[in-house]
Amino acid sequence: MSNDMNKTNDVMLDIKNLVVEFKTEDETVQAINGIDLKINKGKTHGLVGETGAGKTTTALSILNLVPFPAEKPTAGTIELDGVHLYKTNEKGECVPALTEKDYQSIRGEKVAMIFQDPMTALNPIFTVGDQIAESVRLHQNVDQAKAMERAREMLELVGIPAKRADDYPHQFSGGMKQRVVIAMALACNPSLLIADEPTTALDVTIQAQVLEMMRGLRDKFGTSVLMITHDLGIIAEMCDEVSVMYAGRIVEYGNLEDIFDNTRHPYTQGLFNSLPNIEDRKAELKPIRGLMPNPADLPKGCAFCPRCDYAMEICKTVRPERKWLSETHCVECHLYDDGKDVSKL
Amino acid sequence: MNAANTRKIPKKKSQAYEIWRRFKKNKTAMAALIVLSLIILSTLCADFIWDYQKDACSINIKNRLQHPSWEHPLGTDELGRDMLCRLVYGARASLTVGILGTSFALLVGGTLGAIGGYYGGKLDNLIMRCTDVLLAIPGLLLCIAIMSAFKSNVFYISLSLGISYISKFTRIVRSSILSVRDQEYVEAARAIGASDFSIITKHVLMNCMAPIFVQYALAIGSRILSVSTLSYIGMGIQAPTPDWGNMLSGARAFIRGNTYLVMGPGVALLLTISSFNLIGDGLRDAMDPRLKK
Repeated sequence: MSNDMNKTNDVMLDIKNLVVEFKTEDETVQAINGIDLKINKGKTHGLVGETGAGKTTTALSILNLVPFPAEKPTAGTIELDGVHLYKTNEKGECVPALTEKDYQSIRGEKVAMIFQDPMTALNPIFTVGDQIAESVRLHQNVDQAKAMERAREMLELVGIPAKRADDYPHQFSGGMKQRVVIAMALACNPSLLIADEPTTALDVTIQAQVLEMMRGLRDKFGTSVLMITHDLGIIAEMCDEVSVMYAGRIVEYGNLEDIFDNTRHPYTQGLFNSLPNIEDRKAELKPIRGLMPNPADLPKGCAFCPRCDYAMEICKTVRPERKWLSETHCVECHLYDDGKDVSKL
Repeated sequence: MNAANTRKIPKKKSQAYEIWRRFKKNKTAMAALIVLSLIILSTLCADFIWDYQKDACSINIKNRLQHPSWEHPLGTDELGRDMLCRLVYGARASLTVGILGTSFALLVGGTLGAIGGYYGGKLDNLIMRCTDVLLAIPGLLLCIAIMSAFKSNVFYISLSLGISYISKFTRIVRSSILSVRDQEYVEAARAIGASDFSIITKHVLMNCMAPIFVQYALAIGSRILSVSTLSYIGMGIQAPTPDWGNMLSGARAFIRGNTYLVMGPGVALLLTISSFNLIGDGLRDAMDPRLKK
């Protein structure tokens, strides 16, 4: 009982069986097909996968900002710090559990999001100070002067001189804009920060600076982070736990050690094989062959089956169940069905 | 203390000031602004020079059709009224109707366009089809129809001129909003918890200000021309109230012998309308922060 209590108090974000489908007139795009994801307070969870795997849709579901034509998850629950964001109605449909006003107060205050491209995430006609202050004013009952004060503080915190608060976004470089975006996200001390590929648009040296800064701020404020990326290096740098996402499912989940040293899923292995090896410069890169399946027409069995080197007959027809390999590590793959020899991997 | 802290922090200039600073650099726009200010100033000060009833409206047959002289710089019309006086008072009617009518069109059309563009879907479709219907009716014909149903006063003339212009604003605001609403900063605004209203008014509309402002300035010019047209055919501002349109209409019969009668209102219309157009262009350039120097 007391154990249970502790558990609920520790969990910042709990996504269960989330399904998001985009229905159009002639097809249904299955963006997310039942994922479970849990982030404990103060922890950083990495969500890794290639373009189109459903990473951003997962993030937008948390904010109830799933784009048209879905506009809301098809099924599943999301619990944020003990508050249910979605509920299931009598017809078995997933509906928002809160009013739009409540979501507006959650966005930015409890959950903040860092966008992928800092070049477009800032409004070109307002000064950066105004934009940070806007987020403060929306959630805290303060006047413009106080909010600007806070905006300047936030800018200093991300390493930009406070006097630049009166400058417009086009007067900043890409890395500085991303810092501004981060300052905006952190202005209200959110308890969960969703970083949607925060460094993809930046060059490598700036990436390192921004990551270093984010790590510092995360430790300072004890923020939980959902780190969405396709860069395994960032995962290794920043995260406590990793979920590998493929075609709308989490195919492997574990802590850093599980994923990096005990890689189990063929897709995760493929991801590692696609990285250049710094010790062996002659080694050839082994990219994963083929492309991700069309999410409007997913294979019946395992979605990775057509690209998998270890594919078996069963993979074509039966979707693999989640298999727990240890307390922290699970995988969705038929290779680990009972009695199968896994040593060859 | 390091150097960065001791350096003087430049005082923050407001956005309006920045726009004005950039606007000032545009010589043609400034010239237009000066011309327009003179026109507005003259019509505001007219009461200090003339007596409206006596000089602009009452008939003085003894003075009819005088050529320009020191006493009457632009001559007198067929009823002996001073043309300069009537020209200056005429600006009052034209400008009022032009600005009122355009503002009405902007308010209604802009709101509809913003709602349609932002929310999309069925609502957008409905609004745009209504706009199409309105657009299918020739503007001047619509004005005439409305004018014949109501009294000819400044309010109804503005209203009719506004209604015939609503669809233009709806389309312009909608298309500007469509180009902005899917920008990432709009999504970012949603992600910090801004409401739809504040997103539309602050993030979306403010980014569309340049085309809307330009259109507003151009529309005032076009509305002034329309009110003159209406007055010219006798549907607009009614005599004896002076208006450039009905002045032109009155002068038509004397155009051979007394050409100066059409010169005054004609040049006044030309100056006013081109001023509005040039100011609109100048504003567009000045309002784009990326052109900031």
